[in-house]
Amino acid sequence: MQGGSSGIGYGLKYQARCISDVKADTDHTSFITGTLSLREENEVHLIRLSSGGTELICEGLFSHPNEIWDLSSCPFDQRIFSTVFSTGESYGAAIWQIPELYGQLNSPQLERIASLDAHVAKINCVLWWPSGRHDKLLSIDDENLFLWTLDCSKKAAQVQSKESSGMLHYLSGGSWDPHDMNAVATTCESSVQFWDLRTMKKTNAIERAHIRNANYDMKKSHILVTAEDESGIHIWDLRKPKSPVKELLGHTHWTWAVTCNPEYDGLILSAGTDSTVNLWQAPTSAEDKATSESITEPLNQQADPLLNSYSDYEDSVYGLAWSSREPWIFASLSYDGRVVVESVKPFLSRK
Amino acid sequence: MVEQAKMANDDIPLDDKAKRMRDLLSSFYYPYHGSSPKAHSNYENLDSINSATFDPEHYMNLLVQKSNLEELLRKHVEMAAEIKNLDTDLQMLVYENYNKFISATDAIKWMKSNIVGMEANMEQLLDKIMSVQSRSDRVNTSLFEKREHIEKLHRTRNLLRKVQFIYDLPARLAKCIKSEAYADAVKFYIGAMPIFKAYGDSSFQDCKRASEDAIITILKNLQACLSLCYACKGKLFSDSESIQARAEAAVLLKQLDFPVDSLQAKLLEKLEQSLGDLQLKTNEIENVLRESNDPSKQGKGFDSVPGIGHEVSVHGFAEAIRAYRVIFPDSESQLIKLAQNLVIKHFEMTEQRVKRRISSTNFLGALRAIWDDVLLMDGVLSEAALSNFSLEVAHATVKKYVASTFTYLLQDISDALLKVKVSPKEAAEEHPLQVALEASKKIVLQGSMDVLLKFRQLLDDELGLLVKLRAFIIDWVQEGFQDFFRSLDDCFLLLSGRKNSSSQDQGFSEGALGEKVLAGLVLVLAQLSVFIEQTAIPRISEEIAASFSSGGARGHENGHVFVSGEICQLFQLGGEKLLHHYINVRTRRVSTLLRKRFTTPNWVKHKEPREVHMFVDLFLQELKAVDSEVKQILPEGLLRKHQRSDSNGSTNSSRSNALLDDKMSRSNIQKARSQLLETHLAKLFKQKIEIFTKVEYSQESVETTIVKLCVKSLQEYVRLQTFNRSGFQQIQLDIHFLRTLLKENIEAEEAVDFLLDEVIVAASERCLDPIPLEPPILDKLVQVKLAKSKEHNPVKPLDVGR
Repeated sequence: MQGGSSGIGYGLKYQARCISDVKADTDHTSFITGTLSLREENEVHLIRLSSGGTELICEGLFSHPNEIWDLSSCPFDQRIFSTVFSTGESYGAAIWQIPELYGQLNSPQLERIASLDAHVAKINCVLWWPSGRHDKLLSIDDENLFLWTLDCSKKAAQVQSKESSGMLHYLSGGSWDPHDMNAVATTCESSVQFWDLRTMKKTNAIERAHIRNANYDMKKSHILVTAEDESGIHIWDLRKPKSPVKELLGHTHWTWAVTCNPEYDGLILSAGTDSTVNLWQAPTSAEDKATSESITEPLNQQADPLLNSYSDYEDSVYGLAWSSREPWIFASLSYDGRVVVESVKPFLSRK
Repeated sequence: MVEQAKMANDDIPLDDKAKRMRDLLSSFYYPYHGSSPKAHSNYENLDSINSATFDPEHYMNLLVQKSNLEELLRKHVEMAAEIKNLDTDLQMLVYENYNKFISATDAIKWMKSNIVGMEANMEQLLDKIMSVQSRSDRVNTSLFEKREHIEKLHRTRNLLRKVQFIYDLPARLAKCIKSEAYADAVKFYIGAMPIFKAYGDSSFQDCKRASEDAIITILKNLQACLSLCYACKGKLFSDSESIQARAEAAVLLKQLDFPVDSLQAKLLEKLEQSLGDLQLKTNEIENVLRESNDPSKQGKGFDSVPGIGHEVSVHGFAEAIRAYRVIFPDSESQLIKLAQNLVIKHFEMTEQRVKRRISSTNFLGALRAIWDDVLLMDGVLSEAALSNFSLEVAHATVKKYVASTFTYLLQDISDALLKVKVSPKEAAEEHPLQVALEASKKIVLQGSMDVLLKFRQLLDDELGLLVKLRAFIIDWVQEGFQDFFRSLDDCFLLLSGRKNSSSQDQGFSEGALGEKVLAGLVLVLAQLSVFIEQTAIPRISEEIAASFSSGGARGHENGHVFVSGEICQLFQLGGEKLLHHYINVRTRRVSTLLRKRFTTPNWVKHKEPREVHMFVDLFLQELKAVDSEVKQILPEGLLRKHQRSDSNGSTNSSRSNALLDDKMSRSNIQKARSQLLETHLAKLFKQKIEIFTKVEYSQESVETTIVKLCVKSLQEYVRLQTFNRSGFQQIQLDIHFLRTLLKENIEAEEAVDFLLDEVIVAASERCLDPIPLEPPILDKLVQVKLAKSKEHNPVKPLDVGR
């Protein structure tokens, strides 16, 4: 499969890891991304897909004090986003607001609404509740899970509750259940843990080593997709955490990120360190059937779940985001700072 | 005279009355032709002259008006003639009647005179009849007495005759016994039975007793005759008594109200018992068979000796059944049941044998024995349709046999494979994996061939049972192979631990030893899959095509046939999967190693590098393990360079090195940006090296893939960290050392080289102060390390470097 020719490219100056869909922007398909450069001045780019869908326009360029390890856009206010940054020696996380009149200003400065500065360990990510307005915010560092109450108007964030992940569990990331604002999944070295935010207690766990990324299915509750270093992608039904419902091959090297399409059922994107982005069609609709038959031979019996492999990347792809406005469009970001926006429309008709 | 007077009378009352008379007369005497119609034909209303409404006046007027004189005259003449005729007719009639009347009167006169004497005659007759009657009555009464007497006498005589018969009965019975004419005796006895019943208690007591005694002796004799049958059941109906006689005896016994049923039941019991004995005997045969099976010289030896005993006993059984049938003709259903039991037990026995491993000759022998028995029984008891019945049972048994053969084959293979797990622990064998591979290869091929041979024997046998099942057998064999390979594939996956990888994962983290063995096993399985796909299946399908292709009973529509293409594909996929799994398992171990290495230290506060870090040693050790496994199992690949579209690979690599050096020299932070640009530019000009190529079944390919994946992981780990200068230098040193050792033995050198460069680039990018070590220092440290490792284990670098 050849890929990439249809993609629209956009170059960042430096290396970058993270890209996020600006969900609250209902008028345009836009993404926000930030660079990862240890020794240079880092930038946050607000990118908009032109109305024709043929080019990517830089809508805003803001300097950011440190290299950005994680970035996510606020799902209810297009001007707000969160970053996790590092100075090389220490980590920090903050909520930023894009200044209102940035079009007129020469060198617009980002306005820091709040600093999530209760962390002592290495911060991994900041999560917004993906389904809408919610005044809570979640930040995850190596050892702890923080629940913040964010007040945008007062520009303040307060720690509401905090829980340690427990000894020897180094958290690496997480995903907030879009169907339940009290449920969150965190990944750590040997398992995926599930938390109830009301009590801040672990409710469940999937014992599985080396999970790199996890993502909830936006359409169906109880479905979680995980990406693992060596063993590809697994789809789990959280009611049956013993074994995965479905297994996808993943990538030649590590599978770094997975994300479920917000609109189309079972459409999954994965990005890997083998410089490819793969588009999968997982038949989650037939989940019961899939569980009853063995997971060892799904490839022989069914149509190839791999719809396409986009391989026109020069380096490992770490950033991946579906557009929620136009759910057939996704943006990918490879380490060399190249944003590529692709449309999966040609593959949807195959369903 | 009278006539004339009459005539005169007639003439007077005019025409009217005369005509009517004449009509009546003419209708009486001339019903068919009268003169009047002839006469009237000349006139239009000639009918009216005869009708009651005839108006003479009107007639006259009409006549006068219509006719002229001549006609009138003629009419007149006619009429006159007519009248004259009528008159004569009338006269004649009157005369005749008168004559008759006269004669009648005469007759009456005569009769009157004759009838007078009759009465007296009649009375006389009556008297005579009366007297005859009285006389006959008298005779009757006088004879009656005598007649009655005669009748009584006759009856008495009959009675006396019967009594005589009964008195004679014992003697007669005795005579019959003497002459063994039991049938007659029984007939007599049964004849006398009613009398005995009626008078046995009084007058004929003695007689009855005597004859009963006689009958008892008869009974005894008969029973003896019959019981001879079952007394000698040990010998199973010896021929001392003819079957016919015995059958008769049974019938007679039945007639004598003897409880034959119980006798029959007893006999049946005996038969069943003998069947049990038969089973016992076959069991013994079993034992003999098994014993003779053990020293693997089965065949003729046991087939003949205990076989004969078995045959004899079955023969006896068949004879018994035949006799039994003749004796008790209405006992078929029981016998059928019995015979079917025999067959079923036979097959049960065989099935049990099938459960253990038996050779096809044994199986054939067993089948043949059964079939012989069945044929024998069929001859005796054709109603049982034993051949059909046994065919049905054999259907299941042969199917089971086929299935179990495949199961054993599968078990053999998995056993051979599992030996890999055990052997390295106990014996320090040089190439345990290789041995296992060869062994399992041999088992797969040889085992399948043996299985085919077995089935060939089944097919080629001329046994009726098998001939009928031939089509089925072909189907089963094909289906069996199909299923066998499918389950073999499953088995491989299970052994490789892919099937329940979640639980296996925990196993990995817990027991490293088990995993090490398992990794090798996965490789063995992968190679075995290739072997099956490329060698075993073509041969097997060839064999199947040669001898098992002819007409399946169920045809192809069920899909129960051996499709070699499908299986080949299955194993090809399976092999690839297993190979990837092997690589995966191996890289995962390295990955764990690397993760520990990179997440543990605080890289920002790293101290100056003094020596190569030990993780490189561990990494190389892993590679060495891979190397030894791969060398045992996989073929040596064609030594070819990594494929690239342009040929000047060396310049490329030197370019990247130059770039690197260039980069290293620029420690200045301000230039980093242009540096990145340069990297991009360099990448643009450089051919994109395909890092992840397709894995082949060769030592080099697998090793290279593992190395590449590991180095790529290394790069990714480096990218996640932030280093200080010393940390960066440490990485630089480690990579440098790794490069020198890897360079010698990796096929796709350039790709690995490129990746190692990338690691250093990544480290420098993630370094706060990227100042590299001076090359002399680097070399010196590497030399120290090399010397140290040589001293420690002089073979190792050579071994890794081949």
